[in-house]
Amino acid sequence: MFVSKSMTRKVLTAAKDESIFSAQERMKQAAIRHLPVVDADGRLIGIVTDRDLRSAMPYSLIKNTCDDAERAKLAEMRVGEIMSPDPITLNPAHTIQDALLLVQEHKVGAFPVVDDAGNLKGILSVRDLLRAFVNVLGIGQRGTLMGILVEEKVGQLKQIVDAITEEGISFGSVLVARYWEDDKRAVFPYLLTNHVARVKKKLTGMGFTLIDPMDWYLDQLPSKESE
Amino acid sequence: MKRTGFLHDIRYLLHDTGPYHPEMAERLQAIQKGVEAAGLLPQLTEIKAVPADMAWIEAVHATVYIRRFEEVCRSGVRQFDYSDNQMCTETYDTAILAVGGVLEAVRMVMAGEIDNAFCAVRPPGHHAEVAEAMGFCYFNNVAIAARYLQKEWGIERVGIVDFDVHHGNGTEHIFEEDPTVFYYSIHEHPSFAFPGTGRDFDTGKGAGKGFTKNSPMLPGQGDEEFKALIQQDLLPAFEGFRPEVILVSVGFDALDADEMADMRLSRACFTWIAEQLKVLADQYAEGRLISVLEGGYSIDHLGELAEDHLKVLMRD
Repeated sequence: MFVSKSMTRKVLTAAKDESIFSAQERMKQAAIRHLPVVDADGRLIGIVTDRDLRSAMPYSLIKNTCDDAERAKLAEMRVGEIMSPDPITLNPAHTIQDALLLVQEHKVGAFPVVDDAGNLKGILSVRDLLRAFVNVLGIGQRGTLMGILVEEKVGQLKQIVDAITEEGISFGSVLVARYWEDDKRAVFPYLLTNHVARVKKKLTGMGFTLIDPMDWYLDQLPSKESE
Repeated sequence: MKRTGFLHDIRYLLHDTGPYHPEMAERLQAIQKGVEAAGLLPQLTEIKAVPADMAWIEAVHATVYIRRFEEVCRSGVRQFDYSDNQMCTETYDTAILAVGGVLEAVRMVMAGEIDNAFCAVRPPGHHAEVAEAMGFCYFNNVAIAARYLQKEWGIERVGIVDFDVHHGNGTEHIFEEDPTVFYYSIHEHPSFAFPGTGRDFDTGKGAGKGFTKNSPMLPGQGDEEFKALIQQDLLPAFEGFRPEVILVSVGFDALDADEMADMRLSRACFTWIAEQLKVLADQYAEGRLISVLEGGYSIDHLGELAEDHLKVLMRD
């Protein structure tokens, strides 16, 4: 779960005296949106995003109506003038969970990863986080998702796991949505089988309630919206 | 009346999936009974299973996979990789007979001996990948038939329509880079049903981009949504592609009463889709349509569904 395992190690960087046109062109070529800025020793000193670059360019440039003098002035502009000097960074020993919380809190798209000495070690983008979660959720693995409503008490999951295991079915993953309702949880086992009808009957027979697939959700409580 | 072939063979019952498995021999017995009770047999051309020439199976599946399947099966192991794939020592031979029967039906259609055919085979095929058995499937009957049509009969464009409630991951995967085989599938949305593939933005890869089309349906949806998607997605796709032969992966498991998934199609909707496919075959493929059984697990309803399906094929 460490950032070091999920980050991109080969990072394109900029020096602070690179022209903004050149930086923009390189980002376009590499199809990236974040360019860490480093000093001669490879220490992180800032970050520049495609948005910073766009904001720096006047509308007249985009419309191709600016004069040569203005264009020459822009060509003189350096990355160091428009970069964010103190970006939020991660340490390679931070976890994916740390990164998710930071994304939520700061609404940024990528974090430079630096070691304790301030050296740039990599970059972790929202895309890297998504990849990790596509993997965790097993999206695309051959299987069937089920939704089961359970009481919030110890031992419920064991019963479900036992019932499914007795059928000889393997698990791709198990998600538990907490706080589904007051004192209820929703359990989502992803089963590596085409054959869930029998398991469904068995669980219903044991007193569990299956949740209608059209009512499945994984984020917040629906009641929060209505309150 | 069209000359319709009906492939059925008592040897397809020999693939024994053990107790409590939905893909059981009773499915074919129910189909056989329904067709017989409806008095259709005298008007149908009987097709008997023959073992497939291994070269055709190898045109789709990896040789190492075929060998491994044979070895595991003959050794008496009852499960092949996943718990879904329950088998007996006859399974390998039965799977070869399923392919062979389908190829025989294709041969008869191409030779002009019959106009179209329905193949009631086991085991089914559309989940089978090049080198992996999955979801009760071992050899991909329809995919092999498509390659046979191209290599043996010089057919350039094969159209496959898959209306099983589950996405045919194997068939899609086998042809995803191939612009000569169009794979269309309508199924329950992969976030809710096996196998977890077949999203509407998956449209093929490389040279095959634009030659795969998926129409996922949400749990609980029924006839109305099904018909709208067929009209909106399948008809224009085939109008552009103009298949020379149409292969159909027939699944009867989107039926409301079928417990394998959450779709709510009526019996009448299965007649409707068969009619649509027959119109497409008449329009583009000189009527050449070979349908092959995949899923469908409601023993109480399989007889009447097969009867309806055949009646549509037989009609002029």
